[in-house]
Amino acid sequence: MRTIREFEERLHVDFARGDIPGFVHLYAGEEASAAGIMLHLNDNDRIASTHRGHGHCIAKGVSVKEMMAEIYGKTTGSCRGKGGSMHIADLSKGMMGANGILGAGAPLACGAALAAQKLGHKGVGICFVGDGASNQGMFLESLNLAAVWNLPAIFVVENNGYAESTSVEWAVASDSYVDRATGFGMPGITVDGTDFFAVYEAAGEVIKRAREGGGPSLLECKMVRFHGHFEGDAQTYRAKGELEEIRANNDCIKFFQARIRDAGVISAAEMDNIDREVARLIDEAVAEAKAAALPNQRDLLTDVYVAY
Amino acid sequence: MAGPVVGIIANPVSARDIRRVVAHAGSLQVTDRANIVLRILAGLAAAGIKDVVMMPENAGIRTHLGRAMMRAANTGEARFPDLAFLEMKVTGQAGDSALAARMMRNIGVAAIIVLGGDGTHRIVVSECGNVPIAGVSSGTNNAFPETREPTVTGLGVGLAVTGAVPASTAFIANKRLEVAINGRREIALVDVAIVAERFVGSRAIWKAEGFRELFVTFGEPGGIGMSSIVGFLAPVKRASPYGRRVIFDRPETAAFRLMAPIAPGLIEPIGIERVETIDFDQPVALTVNAGSIALDGEREITFSDADAVSVTLRDAAFRTIDVAACMSHAAMKGSFLEPVGKRPAINMSRENFDERQPVSAEQGKAARSLSDHADHPRIRGAAAC
Repeated sequence: MRTIREFEERLHVDFARGDIPGFVHLYAGEEASAAGIMLHLNDNDRIASTHRGHGHCIAKGVSVKEMMAEIYGKTTGSCRGKGGSMHIADLSKGMMGANGILGAGAPLACGAALAAQKLGHKGVGICFVGDGASNQGMFLESLNLAAVWNLPAIFVVENNGYAESTSVEWAVASDSYVDRATGFGMPGITVDGTDFFAVYEAAGEVIKRAREGGGPSLLECKMVRFHGHFEGDAQTYRAKGELEEIRANNDCIKFFQARIRDAGVISAAEMDNIDREVARLIDEAVAEAKAAALPNQRDLLTDVYVAY
Repeated sequence: MAGPVVGIIANPVSARDIRRVVAHAGSLQVTDRANIVLRILAGLAAAGIKDVVMMPENAGIRTHLGRAMMRAANTGEARFPDLAFLEMKVTGQAGDSALAARMMRNIGVAAIIVLGGDGTHRIVVSECGNVPIAGVSSGTNNAFPETREPTVTGLGVGLAVTGAVPASTAFIANKRLEVAINGRREIALVDVAIVAERFVGSRAIWKAEGFRELFVTFGEPGGIGMSSIVGFLAPVKRASPYGRRVIFDRPETAAFRLMAPIAPGLIEPIGIERVETIDFDQPVALTVNAGSIALDGEREITFSDADAVSVTLRDAAFRTIDVAACMSHAAMKGSFLEPVGKRPAINMSRENFDERQPVSAEQGKAARSLSDHADHPRIRGAAAC
């Protein structure tokens, strides 16, 4: 969670400085969801991410340095600098890709789940969508397909309250994502997505259920995002003081730290050490990304087609 | 506003937790929650209530209600009271129900109708003071709220708060449990479970191997949830002047193993070491020194050996509306009966009614002893405690 936060906060600064090409959507504030879910997964398990995919990538084990290089558009990046923020993928880690098409991860996760079911290796396919993307037809079709074929698929709705700038209250007709799951005959549950332990426990159950042949589930994580929909978003749709309030009182990392410290699992000094190590890793990732080469004209015609 | 005002707190996110995955618990759609409120409003209006105030939420209930009431106004139906929403910030968290209950108490509502399960009722009771509540069962585990058609709940509450039914019949005083952890106090309406997990996590409790202790205000054989354990071992009624405590053991080594419906759809073997009776106002210390405390089925607090934890049963701690008694009284009085034409009057004498018999003091005293259940095959050894 700390790695994701540091990664995103650094991008926030570097993007504003004009160092980064393309477009970025930051996951800061939402870390408990990615961490709580991905801790249950192995490389056989495949995830399909969203346009806000950095957190999912890091939690799934994609190299932080390769990710940073990818976002900087360098040849040392996860996709040799051709994907950028919204197309980071690492199939060796089961990360099928961030995705600029809203809701498009859902059928991909169904495909991965179908493959796992046919191959019998007990893997699962997980897609992440935002509250806005959950209105997409392909998401709803995927719920149906997964239910009919009893796929080991998990649909995670990361509900941060805004579809870009449109409030959930205005844009989601069924009001509850759990109601949608129920409509397709699969269990749906809502958890506090700012509570790592709540996500971890709930995700553990739905993933176990899917591995054992219990079929698909929907998991709604209610969360907050600390930045705009995209970097540069003026966020005029937010209430006055909303950002300050959620950063002060609804920070999943602060909650996590308080709980493990109070339970005597880790000392404040040990946490500080982790923070320092993470900061060093991100410094190195940025320095190496900046120093790496950009793709050249010859690279335009490579990796156009991929053989499986 | 003229006449008594009734409050409604409808939790839009009850029946949403992990028990849908681990135990096939039901999901109540938001539109159905709105329909339940509409049926309550119809009942309240028929009983003479003109003003209702509701907790606002942003999960859809308010939207659907507004749409339905607008349609009713368009078609000339006038069967709803005036509905207002509290002016409060909606956070989507449990604190909304607590704040709404506090605000309703402060503005002097005559009663609060609660839509939710045991957890929602607990939160409302923690803040509503002496305002009586009536529950509409719409959560995951509904040991506390009775299952009843909401229209009838609306009618019964209306009859109670308009004075159509005497207070001595309409209102019931209830027990509750208080948990003290250092300086903090929490309450539970039905049960306090001590479980081994040292984190709150997804809140619900369903892993029987982690059960350590249980305290209940009541537990009946037909109940659901943790209190059903007591219901099978040594039942206690809501009105009985005592509660029970159960000490659990691992199912493999326990003195008894009990199959109990600890959650909807989840019937698990539970290892029982012993059962005890607990009395009012006697703090009971725990036998375990670390874990978490589940209040009415949901983990709320973690504790360790550094914390001083005790559980105390309290008498007459909050009031509920006895909807069945209200309806019975109204039926005997012919409250909803209107003479039409010249047909002979219906005999409304008491003899025509099979009234509920209250538990006498002697019966209550006799039931208190665990030895009364000594002929129960599962409790024989436990009765020695």
